[in-house]
Formats: sequence, structure tokens, C-alpha cells
Amino acid sequence: MISRMNSLLLHTKYPSIFLLLICTLATSNLQAAPKRHVVENPKIRMVVIPRTAQQMAAFYEGREFPVNAINATGDACFFTVGIHNKSQHILWLDTDKWTLTSAGRTLSLLSRAYWTQRWKELNLQQRFQSTFRWTLLPNQLDFQPDEREGGNITLARINTPFTLSAHFTTKINNHDEASIITFNNLRCAP
Amino acid sequence: MKKILIFIFLLSLPISIYAATDAPKGIIKITPRTAPPLSLENMDGDKFTLSTKNRRWSFVHFWASWCGPCRREMPTIQSVIQAMSKDNIDFVIVNTAESEDTVFSFLGAVAPEVDTLLDRDGLATELWKPRGLPSTYLVDPYGQIQYVVIGGQDWQKERYQTFLRQLSAARNTR
Repeated sequence: MISRMNSLLLHTKYPSIFLLLICTLATSNLQAAPKRHVVENPKIRMVVIPRTAQQMAAFYEGREFPVNAINATGDACFFTVGIHNKSQHILWLDTDKWTLTSAGRTLSLLSRAYWTQRWKELNLQQRFQSTFRWTLLPNQLDFQPDEREGGNITLARINTPFTLSAHFTTKINNHDEASIITFNNLRCAP
Repeated sequence: MKKILIFIFLLSLPISIYAATDAPKGIIKITPRTAPPLSLENMDGDKFTLSTKNRRWSFVHFWASWCGPCRREMPTIQSVIQAMSKDNIDFVIVNTAESEDTVFSFLGAVAPEVDTLLDRDGLATELWKPRGLPSTYLVDPYGQIQYVVIGGQDWQKERYQTFLRQLSAARNTR
């Protein structure tokens, strides 16, 4: 129940994180929800929630995705990310500037191009590809003051914990100010 | 005489097409850009094409049934459509990449009076590059996107309807 409440709360705050309620409701009786991670500074509030393969499968199954596509999502590690621009300035998101490291090794997010290629290999219908893209966090976005957006990030499954450093830029008086939000000890949900 | 004409011209500016500058929270004025093409059918197979020939503002809204905020927002869109049926604004509602059955079930339960277009493969939506779903654009009578709406809003609220009425009332001036 707590996981449902948490999920509903986040869902309400971040309009685009449509996954949370549906996924959690679909699977909350089956397993404990993974821990959510929250980091906040005066400009940004960021939430990262690991998603189990079962949660993702439940969501895409509910959207009538074919089995081979659902199985493909199981190869990746999903995190739902919510970002709130608390500042009075435009906050620039660019996930190409994010870094992921695990035991000194650099990891990469799975790109939209990766998923496009994957769906091409599986001959996934265009409408499912479109829905999948909407569930991903935008690569780049100019967050307006007080705007909240969210979506999933994905990476190849790993068993070791990793660190995510999310870089943002705010333009104030014609100069760029960088903000870095760091999440330590993130783990892929099983 | 020339000075009088200039004076009259200057007086007319405040009631121009962009008079509604005090946008309510969540409605962002942007640098105008040409609206992408939009030509889709509704569930009855009737085709709609966004055009400038009627010289009206358009409220272009993208949604999907799996989007939680869409579920909350859609009844308020139904209300504003009904409340502004005599105003000079077109409400263009677009479902993104879902089946007719899904759309029919969703709208039947949430907003039965809303007539939505079906973007069956999602490609029309992608041309508009929404920030997320739901997403709303306010397009002026000349086909320029003037405002984007961040997230879902409660369109039943007076301030939103007042704003839309200001826009629609200014439709023929530029």
C-alpha cells in the first residue's frame, strides 16, 4: 500500500510519469517495490525509481505490446526519472552529458537510436514504437520554471551498483551555471 | 492627417491578436513557429485538417489513455469545449497511437462528449514534438503556435476560459 501511495504521489507531481501508477498497481501484490531515490538542491528535485522487469512487462502488456517486444524490455534495466525545475530560470536537460560509472567503469544509457534499431529488428508496429518513445525521458528539454517532467532511462543490465551524475545547465545573466545531481549506489531492479 | 492615422494605429495595437498576454500558470508564450501539418480522421472516419482558412484559434491537444494526467484533464477539456461552443476557437483533440477500442473505452468512461482524432501510428504527434503527454498547443488563426501548455491543466477554471476567450475574440486582427 505504501508503494502505491508513493507511486501515486510521484505520479501526481510529475505529469509525464504515467508509468508509475499503472506499473505499481499492476504488480504491487507480486513483489516489493524497489526503493526510490530522491536528491534535491535549491534548483532541482530529482527522483529515480528502479523498475523491475515484471513491472515493465506489465505496463507494456497492458498496452498490447507483442511478446517479443516485452521480452526485449527485459534485457534492459529501467529507471523512472522525475525532474522538477524549482528555480525561476530555464533549466536545460541534456542526457548526453550525464555520466554513469560502476567500479571505475563508464556505463552508457541505451539511446533512442538503440531502441529504434531493436524495434526494427523485431518488426514492431509503428504505434508501439511511438508509445515506447513516449515512455522515455526526453534527451534534451528546456524545463520552464516550476515545470515537472519525467520518463524512463534505460541501460544494459548490470549486477553491480553504479553512480549516476545528472548534469543540468541554467542560463543566468547570459552565463551558464552547471548543476550536478548525483545518485550513488543505484542498482538495477531484478 | 498622417499623425492622426499613426495615433489611431497605435491605439489599435493593444487589441491585437496577442492581447491576451497574461497567460495563466502553465501556459507559456513561445517564439511563434509554424504549426506542423495535422490531417487525421476521427473514430467515425471523418477527416479533419488543421488549416488557416477559417481564421480561428485552435486548441490542439495530444493525449493517451495510459497517461494519468490525461485522465484527470480530459473531463475538464470536455467542459471547456461545451462552455465555448459558440466561441471562435477550434478544439482539436488527438489520441496518440492507440487502438479504437482503447480510445472508445477510455472516452466512454471519462469524457463521452469529446470527439477525438486518431493518430494511429503516432507519427503526426511526433511532428509536433510535444514535451510529454498530455500536451496542448494554442495555434493562432495564421497557423503559428503562440503558446504551449505545460502538463495537464484544469480547463474548467475561470482563468483558463477567460484566457481562451480573449484569444478567440481577437481572431481577426493582426
